[in-house]
Amino acid sequence: MSLVKILEIALRTGRVTRRYPVEEPLLTPEFRGSIEVDPSKCWGCGACTKVCPSNALTLTPSGKGLVLEYFVGRCVFCGMCAEVCPAKAITVTKKFELASKNLRDLRSRVVHEVLRCSVCGAPITAEAEVRAVVKVSPITEEYVALCPRCRKERFTKSVALRIGASSGPS
Amino acid sequence: MTESVSKLIEELKRLGGRVEEVKDREVYLVVGRDNLRSLAKALYSTGAYLKTCAGVDERQVQGVLSIYYIFGLDELGVDVVLRVPVTEDDAKIPTIVLEVPAADWCELEARDMVGVEITGRPVRRLVLPEDWPEGIHPLRKDFDYSARPPRRFRSELPEEVGVPLGPYHPALHEPEYFELYVDGEKVVDVVYRGFHVHRGIEKLAESPRFTYKQIPFLAERICGICGFVHSSCYVMAVERAAGIEVPERAEFIRSIVLEVERLHSHLLWLGVAAHLLGYDVGFMHAWRIREHVMVLAEYLTGSRKTYGINIIGGVRRDLNVDKLDRILKTLAKVREEFVKLVEVMLSVPQIKLRASGTGILSRSEARALSVVGPVARASGLYRDIRKDYPYFAYREVSFKVPLYTEGDNLARVLVRVEEVLESIEIIKQLVDKLPGGPVAVESWDVPPYRRAVAAIEAPRGEDVHFIITGVGKPYRWRVRAPTYQNIPALRAMLRGASLADAPLTIASIDPCFSCTDRLVVYDLRTGSRRVLRIAGGVSACPL
Ligand code: SF4
Ligand code: SF4
Repeated sequence: MSLVKILEIALRTGRVTRRYPVEEPLLTPEFRGSIEVDPSKCWGCGACTKVCPSNALTLTPSGKGLVLEYFVGRCVFCGMCAEVCPAKAITVTKKFELASKNLRDLRSRVVHEVLRCSVCGAPITAEAEVRAVVKVSPITEEYVALCPRCRKERFTKSVALRIGASSGPS
Repeated sequence: MTESVSKLIEELKRLGGRVEEVKDREVYLVVGRDNLRSLAKALYSTGAYLKTCAGVDERQVQGVLSIYYIFGLDELGVDVVLRVPVTEDDAKIPTIVLEVPAADWCELEARDMVGVEITGRPVRRLVLPEDWPEGIHPLRKDFDYSARPPRRFRSELPEEVGVPLGPYHPALHEPEYFELYVDGEKVVDVVYRGFHVHRGIEKLAESPRFTYKQIPFLAERICGICGFVHSSCYVMAVERAAGIEVPERAEFIRSIVLEVERLHSHLLWLGVAAHLLGYDVGFMHAWRIREHVMVLAEYLTGSRKTYGINIIGGVRRDLNVDKLDRILKTLAKVREEFVKLVEVMLSVPQIKLRASGTGILSRSEARALSVVGPVARASGLYRDIRKDYPYFAYREVSFKVPLYTEGDNLARVLVRVEEVLESIEIIKQLVDKLPGGPVAVESWDVPPYRRAVAAIEAPRGEDVHFIITGVGKPYRWRVRAPTYQNIPALRAMLRGASLADAPLTIASIDPCFSCTDRLVVYDLRTGSRRVLRIAGGVSACPL
């Protein structure tokens, strides 16, 4: 009895398994796959590395520069990085066939030049970020090329000068 | 706070409890260890059950080590939390297992992880591996999350240990281990050993890189089947502790996705149960139907599993007209095919015969062990968090809680079968009533040292997350998955039963730990030992 019924169901259903990879994989338009960072847009600000839950994105100094590395082996495909990126440099792709025989294929890097302080030479941050920041909030060129410490020093000095000037002998 | 709760609190005060904090759904009392047992007894005898207990190293904040005992008064929808503080030099708390058998594991876990000695009962390691050094307790705050203490190998082990193949097979994910003592074909006793793959997730969340925002993604990875339950439960705990009002639309979306997850989980389980009963055709069709649910989940959230849409204060994905339409169409199809399949499956003689009358858990045992979910409901305990402690949008929908009194494997099958149909109805109502508005709050803030208990009805039963907030991240995050509560009931189910039914009975609680269960059988007459293999246990989630 049950055999006949189940046969009927099976016959009516037919084949359901898709012949992937000969046929297209089964993906809905909402599928989140691995991410891609557009090097021409990325500022190197590191916001994505802070939100990434699995440490798939890291920003580390390397040589003279700063390297944003994406290691797909750790990625959980959440897309949080794309949501926070201020430069809209990250796209969530539909890629999921990510296996490789070469570990290097799983890492992609964006290398940033680092801007150094014009006074003490300490590294400040990625040049691209500075350029982007200057574009949206024009801070004076004078301050941009200073590291936070030198900037503070110069600021205190200038304030001191001004206070000194106004509270002169009365 | 209703009158009956106030009366109970008065009684607990009389027995030596001091009220610390009263919230909508929880009452916190601090209790000296000498009074703990009488309070626990009073609570259990009024019908409360133990949700879990949690060891907390509060030396930085209160100068003490504490164990929090979370009791649920499900009929009143309120939790009573007893906090028992002790000093580090005299870190001893008496056991409550005599009054509350369900405290067995969590007491031992607190002993392992926080280093509070439990007196008055035999103790053993539950979570820490055998080669972990004495006196190091991972959930103490002065233990760094990345520390790897030297292993302490026991000297009595022979030098030339062979390759340990099983019962904890290293290549299989989620090994667990049952020792069944048999007399002929009858099971006489059962010993369970688990936690071989304890991942230390609660500790990991203390690492510097995890903040409130990232933990939902970690929580979702506690379980490969009901992960959304865990991320929901975590965000709910944080939102409650911080008093964040989540937009209604987000609550509806969370509820819809939770029910979608239940559908996939129950269909998965039904397939596995069919397979264990030797009915592989049923397995294939159950999973074929489940596939519609998986594709729907991806379309709604972006991923077939580990949906990743929960954030504190709401969700990351909205539902549009297309999606709502797709939900209704998929549900109609799933319902139709599911009803047909179940009709066929339940008419297969060997299924009915092998499932009925086996693996019985009586109502009183179910209550004593504080079991949850379908296991409780199949043993006549009306316990469903969606009704008892309504959260998200469950207040807005009407649904039945399937209840059976037989307590056998068949009852557990039937409860889940009916729950599939109820879930479909719940989703339909939610889609129908979905309110407009935003799906997440714009900003939120979590003040430190607030506490909250959150509970969600997972496919396997109640999931509990307990939070003490800290600065920028939880101070303590305690997770109690439903299987934790249900495994101890297996002993009651298996004892006295026939060995042949053991694999099915173990699977009948829908345990979340392994893809290949193994059990060792000791024959009391011959003293022989053999290993049984249950192909395709269910899944994966010891913490
Ligand atoms: S998708 Fe998620 S896990 Fe992957 S890199 Fe982005 S934030 Fe990290
Ligand atoms: S610009 Fe975007 S991709 Fe580049 S570091 Fe910042 S957040 Fe990351």
